[in-house]
Amino acid sequence: MSNKNKGNINLPLVIIGLVLIVAVVGGLWAYNQSKKPVKGTAGIAGNNNTNSGSKETPTRPVQTPAYTSVLGAQPPNMLGSPNASVTVEEFADFQCPTCGLKHPMMKEIISTYGSRIKFIFRDFPLQIPAHDKAYDAAVAAEAAGLQGSNKFWEMQNMLFTNQQIWTANPDYRKVWEDYASKIGLDVERFKNDMAGLNAKARVDADLARGRALNVNSTPSIYVNGILIPFEQMNIDAMRQIIDAELAKAKNNSQPTPNAPSNPAPAEPKK
Amino acid sequence: MNDAEVLTEESENKIVKLPLLAALVALVGLGDAIYLTIHHYSGEQVPCGLTGGCEMVLNSQYAEIAGIPLSIFGAAAYFIAFSLAILAAFGNRLMWRLFGIQTALMAVYSVYLIYLQAFVISNSQVPFAERFCQFCLLSALTTLTLFMTALISRFWRS
Repeated sequence: MSNKNKGNINLPLVIIGLVLIVAVVGGLWAYNQSKKPVKGTAGIAGNNNTNSGSKETPTRPVQTPAYTSVLGAQPPNMLGSPNASVTVEEFADFQCPTCGLKHPMMKEIISTYGSRIKFIFRDFPLQIPAHDKAYDAAVAAEAAGLQGSNKFWEMQNMLFTNQQIWTANPDYRKVWEDYASKIGLDVERFKNDMAGLNAKARVDADLARGRALNVNSTPSIYVNGILIPFEQMNIDAMRQIIDAELAKAKNNSQPTPNAPSNPAPAEPKK
Repeated sequence: MNDAEVLTEESENKIVKLPLLAALVALVGLGDAIYLTIHHYSGEQVPCGLTGGCEMVLNSQYAEIAGIPLSIFGAAAYFIAFSLAILAAFGNRLMWRLFGIQTALMAVYSVYLIYLQAFVISNSQVPFAERFCQFCLLSALTTLTLFMTALISRFWRS
């Protein structure tokens, strides 16, 4: 066997070795490539490399806005002006640490732009074991909202700012009831609404919309239907994007309505 | 051993087709596993148009063993399977047997991973069709294909 196969034994080893090298080198190269845009695209805007010469940020390649006929909870949890030309829609999970971290940024955007934008918050509790309280938390926020839409935002703020406290507490429902009384809710009604179907239906409706849009991680933020890549989820890049959209709407002088067109495959039942 | 040598002589100088096919399939699996490993470390979202469950599955507690992403184990397994298949393609019968044993183990583990996606990682609120990660399904498919090639070669000839 040894001398007969001497000529043959090398070729397979060479092939194997080549594949190993290609796999390792190619993997590392691709990893570096995937890291590069994170650094590169974060804040560059304004170099007119597109022939259109418009005020579009070149960092955002032309994308078709994501639309679906699945509307989500009606009326949505909304701030700003319903007639604004720019819609910022956030899908978030109360138990997701990144969502908690981005919460101050979202508040800053809401206060900076006020009625120039329409901000919509969607519940998208991820259904993974690590987020065992996420669905209930979304229900809690919606239950608070049943006592007035501003109460939704107060509860939403409470849940995000105290995320680490209640997620670590096995008796988290009690903690939420404390929040409810702190923001001036009727606690008994809040408890009833948490158990009832209305708040859950709103969460489920938002979830269905997120799924129809293929949301698969949180937070997912859409500006006029275009998903913001994670590396642009910082205040500077977000402002650039929103400013560009506002400018675009001004140029067109006819605000893009948010009416859903091009309905994605809807999923009415779960 | 004796048996192995006879077969080696028979197939000398001609590349055996089934192991070669297996080697190519193993390369597909290797590419998939490397892709998932890269995404694991870069933290980027994987495009998940077909199934919808990628983020959920890939961020679940089952996606890592002792802090090492499962895809690294997958890449290693595919690389070994590829090496065995290439050696078998050049006539080493023993390697083809090892390939059969290895892919049988991989197939069992793949079935377990599909079970996890279908029934464990998601809860009942997630529609069945949206519980899966397409890259994980591709990996299961390549593993099962590898196992099938081993099975076919075993029962075809004898």
